Amino acid sequence: MSEPRIGGGPMAPADPAPVVPVDPVEAPAPVEAPDPVGLVPLDELAPAIAAVSTSRRAFLGFGLAVAGGMVGAGVLARFFPVFADELDPASPIVKAYDPGTRQWTFIVDTASCIGCGLCVVACKEENHVTDKPGYTRTWVERRTVTTDGTLYVDSPDGGIDGFPSHSTAPGAAGKAVRASHFQPRLCMQCATSPCTTVCPVGATYTAEDGVILVDARRCIGCGYCIVACPYGARYLAPAGEHGGGITPGIADKCNWCYHRINQGQLPACVEICPVGSRKFGDAADETSEIVRVLRERNPQMLYPEYGTRPRVLYLGPSVEEA
Amino acid sequence: MHASGLTLTLAGRAIPLGPRAAGAAVVREVRSMPFGLRLWIGGLLAVLAVAAVAALVALPPGWKVFGTSPSFEWGLMIVGYVFFAIMTSGLCLASSLGTVFGIERFRPFEKRHAILAVLSLTTAFLIIALDLHYPVRMVFGAMLVPSPSSPMWWMGVFYGAYLVVLLVEVWSMFTDHPRIHQWACTIAACLAILAPATLGAVFGVLAAKPFWFGIFTPIMMVASAFLAGTALLGIVFYAVHRLRLADHARSASIALPAVRLLLAVGLVIVGALVIRQVVAGLTGTVPGHREATIALVTGPIAAEFWGLRVIAGIVAPALLLLMPMTRNPAGTLAASILALVGVFTDRYTFVTAGQIAPTTTHAGTVSYPYASYAPTLVEVSIFVGALAFLALAYTLAERYLDMGETDVHVGINWPWMRRHDAGQDQEGQDHEAAGDDDVGEDHDGPADLPAPDTSRAPGGPAVPVEVAAIAAGAGS
Repeated sequence: MSEPRIGGGPMAPADPAPVVPVDPVEAPAPVEAPDPVGLVPLDELAPAIAAVSTSRRAFLGFGLAVAGGMVGAGVLARFFPVFADELDPASPIVKAYDPGTRQWTFIVDTASCIGCGLCVVACKEENHVTDKPGYTRTWVERRTVTTDGTLYVDSPDGGIDGFPSHSTAPGAAGKAVRASHFQPRLCMQCATSPCTTVCPVGATYTAEDGVILVDARRCIGCGYCIVACPYGARYLAPAGEHGGGITPGIADKCNWCYHRINQGQLPACVEICPVGSRKFGDAADETSEIVRVLRERNPQMLYPEYGTRPRVLYLGPSVEEA
Repeated sequence: MHASGLTLTLAGRAIPLGPRAAGAAVVREVRSMPFGLRLWIGGLLAVLAVAAVAALVALPPGWKVFGTSPSFEWGLMIVGYVFFAIMTSGLCLASSLGTVFGIERFRPFEKRHAILAVLSLTTAFLIIALDLHYPVRMVFGAMLVPSPSSPMWWMGVFYGAYLVVLLVEVWSMFTDHPRIHQWACTIAACLAILAPATLGAVFGVLAAKPFWFGIFTPIMMVASAFLAGTALLGIVFYAVHRLRLADHARSASIALPAVRLLLAVGLVIVGALVIRQVVAGLTGTVPGHREATIALVTGPIAAEFWGLRVIAGIVAPALLLLMPMTRNPAGTLAASILALVGVFTDRYTFVTAGQIAPTTTHAGTVSYPYASYAPTLVEVSIFVGALAFLALAYTLAERYLDMGETDVHVGINWPWMRRHDAGQDQEGQDHEAAGDDDVGEDHDGPADLPAPDTSRAPGGPAVPVEVAAIAAGAGS
């Protein structure tokens, strides 16, 4: 009858299982009135002690086996990355690419943005983002201040088809406009990012070059990173027609076209922008244009009050002075 | 080999496992049930069938069967999870007064609270599993790749440990291991603070959601937990008293008055915290905090807030507990139900208000002035199904397990407990019951009866559970 036990170890001594159901007549009697000080004669307690300690030993043994298994699996996972595969956004890193040497920086110039929406189109094409409304990795919003001092924000379909001449925000119709500008938005790749802090399974993480990636194999779809992001950059990918790399039900967001930048290309939105209001480069490269812009024009962080230290910086009219 | 084949011995009953024999046994069992019980179980099964369909629809990842959106990512499923999870802790908090602190009048909570707590936490886990798109990854991911920076990871650790401790508590209680039981109760009482507070921290650390952000969120979560658990105990002990289940006399003479006291305490604490929440929100200066609070008190969720949460959930139960004419089991039941509705609305409005006034555009969607969310039929079905699951599982436990409290013993006298607790708690409680001031206020209950030991359920002989023996008919 004795079958081979899987992973014997601590479980083995606890084998005499038939002892566990204590005889209800004999054993509980001493247990019923245990003297906390321990003055009951030992021989009276012996059957109960035997029964209790057997089951306790079994219980402890089981616990030890489980704990040992978990620790062992954790150690194994360190050496054999069970999660890594082609869905891991870090895996397309080409051999020649060394993320440790890069400090990617993104600068948006709202003064020159014309709200054409080509960046949104290019992003959806490049990254196989769903066409369903309400899901986009990047978008353009128009911030309009009317003469009565009210700020209206509108972004019809994320600005993918451009903007009508007047704000579509509720209540803005018919009001005279004092100032208005377009504000392209994308993941800020924050240096102190709330999303990576709160992720319960470490599925979203910061690569060495500062870009925040989502491991599609680890994400559980809890939505915590989405409610944690002060910039609204994330969403859970809906099911539907997707191309490579997007798994339905997991957190999705802009990764600065990681598959492009690690091969020396620009993000799709930067490449397509007809007015050059999206700038991208390596701040570690002293000769790059991005370093010149950083030094000469002092771009600002969006919503610095959240303390997230974004790596996307803004030039031109800011949120407050719009 | 006998023809009977496999049998499972559970709670002293031999349950046949062969298909024909099992079917016959189920039919026999159903026939032996009173009509009302059959109706109740049938109704719950019908609700569960609907919920099962809803759960199947919710399984494929990414299907938009919930009303959530990027600007309103957490909906009724999260509310339901939080509701059942904190209820678990509330049950432990209420019962720890008896089991851990040795206060006699709170002793009758032990068995029922432990069963309810296990079932409630299981329900919470079921709901969150249906909400998550990849729940299996959560278990392995959280174990293999610990993320100690995430409050949600810690929540998983505490609630996972909680479930284990509660299972040990139930097991040790029904197999009469008083010392293990005492330890399990004590650890469960600690987790009853830790777990809901961490659940509060899951919301409380989010600077992006000013209504959730802050230290008061964990405090509110623990207070709500206490109220929810106590209210559930009130409902259950009323049913025990009314349906003459095991230990019903003690239920009316000790448990219900104790629930009344605890409910009153909970309502006062939660009421004070609600006042703080509104005042702090309306005077808040963090962008989005005031807007969210305005949405709560005069905006789209004001009807729920004032009607269900404040008036029905706090004021009405407080009055019911206060007024002499309703200081009876029926009044306690009404107060418990209302308080529980209040806690649920509390969690619902909390989760909603946190997201309803966005401070940013979400994935290209501008939600002004308010983000919209309405639970879909799938979400509502799953939540109602979760309630039905809890009710059904508890009904079965009440019918087939020995729920009499008198055979639970104090295993270890913690230094703060009175000495006579150990081994002779029955005498102690009888004395307590007879001399209890509150007893006289129970007008319509058998309150003046001394707590007899004969109050067993008519159906079942009191046999300790022995889940161990699975006997293969004969032979081997």
